[in-house]
Amino acid sequence: MADRVVECRDVSRTYDDDAVPVHALRDVDFDLAAGEWVSLAGPSGSGKSTLLHVIGGLDQPNAGSVVVDGVEVTALSAAQLSDLRLNKIGFVFQAYNLIPVLSAMENVEFILQLQGVDRAERRSRSRDALHSLGLADLENRRPGEMSGGQQQRVAIARAIVTEPVLLLADEPSANLDTSTTRELLEVLKYLNRERGVTILTATHDPMVMGYTTRQVNLRDGSVV
Amino acid sequence: MRPGRGIPVKLLIQLSWRNIWRHRRRNAILLSAIAVAVTGVMLLNTMMRGMQQDLRNTAIGNLTGHVKILAPGYLDDPGIERGFEVLEGWQDMLPDHMAGWASRIWVPAVVMSERETRGVQLVGIDPVRESISFLGQAEVAGERLSGFEDPRILIGALLAEALDTAAGRRLVLVTQGADGRTREAGFRIAGIYRAEIAGLEKAFVFTGLAALQRLLGTDKITEVSIRLDDEDREASAIAALAETFDNQDVLSWRQLEPQAAAMVEVSDMTVYILFVIVMGALVFGLVNTLVTAVMERLRELGMLRAIGMRPRAVVAQVVVESTVIMAIGVAAGLVLAWCVFSFVADGIDLTAFDDSLASFGMRPTFVPVFDIRDVALIVMLSLALSVLASFYPARRAVKLKPLEALRR
Repeated sequence: MADRVVECRDVSRTYDDDAVPVHALRDVDFDLAAGEWVSLAGPSGSGKSTLLHVIGGLDQPNAGSVVVDGVEVTALSAAQLSDLRLNKIGFVFQAYNLIPVLSAMENVEFILQLQGVDRAERRSRSRDALHSLGLADLENRRPGEMSGGQQQRVAIARAIVTEPVLLLADEPSANLDTSTTRELLEVLKYLNRERGVTILTATHDPMVMGYTTRQVNLRDGSVV
Repeated sequence: MRPGRGIPVKLLIQLSWRNIWRHRRRNAILLSAIAVAVTGVMLLNTMMRGMQQDLRNTAIGNLTGHVKILAPGYLDDPGIERGFEVLEGWQDMLPDHMAGWASRIWVPAVVMSERETRGVQLVGIDPVRESISFLGQAEVAGERLSGFEDPRILIGALLAEALDTAAGRRLVLVTQGADGRTREAGFRIAGIYRAEIAGLEKAFVFTGLAALQRLLGTDKITEVSIRLDDEDREASAIAALAETFDNQDVLSWRQLEPQAAAMVEVSDMTVYILFVIVMGALVFGLVNTLVTAVMERLRELGMLRAIGMRPRAVVAQVVVESTVIMAIGVAAGLVLAWCVFSFVADGIDLTAFDDSLASFGMRPTFVPVFDIRDVALIVMLSLALSVLASFYPARRAVKLKPLEALRR
């Protein structure tokens, strides 16, 4: 693993959707070292989610360079980006985004199936991930049968089960109440401190910022 | 197998199966439509196949056989002057895969009773050889012909009725001899046969081959009819026979019964056209359902892309879902068709339409045929159509970028 998991240089992203160009990112330089937990903070429209998406290969910058674990993301095809996300990056979304027709165990297993991991190992790793997040009793429940906090923990289990070099979390606490948010942050803290998972969180929640090891502020698409 | 690299077919089928249950009512309606369409098409196929088999069996069984050897020109101007001699031991040169053969003399004649006169076809036969034609199985009131020397005649029940005669009585037959002069002789009626096709009963009078040859003053025959045990080898049999009978015409039943052959071919085409029309209409329903399902799940599909599912795997998921829906619908339709078919498998009594059916060369009891090749065809075409139907929804699913899908 590279010392620096993420290296962004002069990254700019402009949207031309409504004829008036919107500069979501302006010449952003940003580094993330292995083992860090950094929060991207800033008001709505500051560019924190855009930067997170660009780093995750979900969005392409108009200019600049984005390197994740030594791979230049901007040079990859759609299929290569899929492989990068599958093998190196774990995603936790604001809306959980679990597959509603699969159980908690199957949701976690799904990503290992995409990786081609055999059934026995898949089961074992998925069970470990769910147990480490306190979801041992919920293996067979489908998302509709779980609370928001439980669903978010399943989403985290799915994101970490592949042992990614980087965990990206976009507003992970946005739909959770205070106590559930605290539980979630304790889980992320455990993953970061005990298991060395590198985490990048986009948030405007002060409680989340309080848990991270470093905070990067964005305003109008620039790091301030 | 891992389509689009990274997603096993088993997982795709599992996801598709569960997604179908997500919208039970909508998919139940679609599945019912597919099942009813497949049932309808399959049952119509069984009818068509039954009609085809009836037409073919009638055409082959009514003295034609699979192959017939005739003198050149006989078909245009039948008569004993178009007879031919066969070499001794010619039977040894016939192909192996034969169910049987029969040599005959077949001439036009006039039959007279005390009260009526009718034009008929007078056929000289060797009765033991006629197991290949309808006569072998025909019900006979009175006696059958005892052999090729038997000078008595067999007539059909409808002809007997028209001539107002009965078994044991005598009829006079007039025909043209080999020398071109009229021959007339009295024949005693040995028996009266019944045939499933009314036209046969009215038109054919049978007597012993040697007896007829004596009347006509010839030792020639006018035809050899051959029944094969394997229809698929008809072409090779014709080729082999053409070498043996190089001075005669060797004709298949299709050439001898062109109307029946044309109807068999037309019904074949009808089966395919009907299937394409019905299933083609259903494809629009399937496309509509799939597009709706994709649009409802855009966010989910975007998430799958975001966590690393390749675009090709997303396409595979839509294709598999379409195929699973079609497969379930087709399977249900085929089971339903089989259940309905089993009620009528022994035959449908159409005696009320006897005269109309006879004009098409069909029997009054209609037996549908459940052909496994039609099942295979329906399954293959349906699955091909389901893949075709999934193309547009899959394109929509994969066209959207993961981030755009997640923002919905």
